[in-house]
Amino acid sequence: MAQHGGPQQRIFSPLRTALHRFAFILLIVSAFGLMLLGKADTILIERIRAASADLVSPIMNVVSRPAASINELTEQATNIFNLYEQNERLRRENRELLAWQQVARNLVHENARLRDLADYTSPPPLRLVTTRVIADMGGAYAHSLMVSSGSRDGVSKGQAVMSDEGLVGRIAEAGYQASRVLLITDINSRVPVIVENSRDRAFLSGDNTDRPLLTFLTADATVAPGDRILTSGHGGAFPPGIPVGVVSSVSENSVRVAPLFRRHQLEYLRVADYGLQGILTDQAIHRSQPQIDGVIPNGVGIVPRDSFAPTQQSGPAAPSSAASPTPSPEQLP
Amino acid sequence: MKPGVWQKLDVVARGLVPAFSVFILLLINLLPVSLPLLSTASPALPLMAIFYWSVNRPDLLTGLTAFMLGLMQDLLTGLPLGVSSLVLLLVQAGSASQGRFFHNKPFIVMWWGFAFVAIPALLIQWFLSSALIGAFLPIRATLISYVLTATLFPLVAWALARAQNSLLRHV
Repeated sequence: MAQHGGPQQRIFSPLRTALHRFAFILLIVSAFGLMLLGKADTILIERIRAASADLVSPIMNVVSRPAASINELTEQATNIFNLYEQNERLRRENRELLAWQQVARNLVHENARLRDLADYTSPPPLRLVTTRVIADMGGAYAHSLMVSSGSRDGVSKGQAVMSDEGLVGRIAEAGYQASRVLLITDINSRVPVIVENSRDRAFLSGDNTDRPLLTFLTADATVAPGDRILTSGHGGAFPPGIPVGVVSSVSENSVRVAPLFRRHQLEYLRVADYGLQGILTDQAIHRSQPQIDGVIPNGVGIVPRDSFAPTQQSGPAAPSSAASPTPSPEQLP
Repeated sequence: MKPGVWQKLDVVARGLVPAFSVFILLLINLLPVSLPLLSTASPALPLMAIFYWSVNRPDLLTGLTAFMLGLMQDLLTGLPLGVSSLVLLLVQAGSASQGRFFHNKPFIVMWWGFAFVAIPALLIQWFLSSALIGAFLPIRATLISYVLTATLFPLVAWALARAQNSLLRHV
């Protein structure tokens, strides 16, 4: 920068420092303003987040490929060391799985016959979109991933995201060609689940550790380490029966679940379009809010029927979600 | 001699190197890495670059740039908006005002300086994120993140110093 001497500097130099200080204070204030805005107008922020994901996704799409191939190389190297052990384990597993296959085949036929007899209406079919992980927002503060498909591929907010092993999370924001996945371990994640054996209902609440908590369990629920946890399908957000995790520890005041996926090994994921309304649209939530004054309705979070009307699916799916016992508002965090 | 259009453009492009380097580091931070440790806590690479440039070239990395880069980080990582903006802005302002202290000192002084600055920076980020989310985030991940950030600083600083020497010598 050119240096001015003489009276000019004497006037302008304090002015410039004052201006700098003012700009600094203005920026600090706008940072706090942004924090408030982020709390207040979630729809706008969501759109901006989706747009920014779209913006960097072409770069990440290219750059994450070499990173993935380096990861593959290291994995191959470790695999060679465990080849014998792995082979033994796989043989054993294969023997067990063949037995299970036989059981499953019998059950499929039996199930089909029983469904015919009982006039059972099947839940809506799943449409799966396979997608690649292009970014991992690893960090102490947020547990989320970026995947390389968006509204272009039929991915939209609220859909369940699965790996080969089980549930990974849900779509938090869907851009045009990239979306952000909120992992079930994130502190903002709540998934309605059931315990596989006892059919006890609960919520799986993330707390930014790699072992999310099982909350809203009833007092008489029986949970033991090793129990499998599945999605319950309540609220229509996720298809029922997706494996979520295994109970890892049970103590006086907390039950923790080990998810089935290993975050650092996630590469390809499937997004499930369940064909239901999914989680509530933001407009529906806004419309349903004024009703809650004084009187607490049965089943909070249920959208008034008429707001569903244009897109409502035929059949029993919607009423069943209305009838499900969702926790009352005092229980909700 | 008056500089031509291309020369001016060249100077502008070189002036953008610091901000661009922070952006690149932000994207590197987002890369999916198959190390179990890094998926729970990652080093705050943009923070290192903001500190480096604020100390060495405060004229090329202003408060506004730090603010915008922080906003970009919040948008991409899904953090509450404004938190990283504030943290990077404070680090920029604090380091730029103390920049002269580090001049003509061995690198280890700058390393210690960064290790010192990163403590309040990550603590503010942890505290504000917790406050905005409404629950205390596990502090352990923040601690791991701090250790990674402090230990990896020389590596990033070396790369940035190479960039500074080759691209910004005459700007």
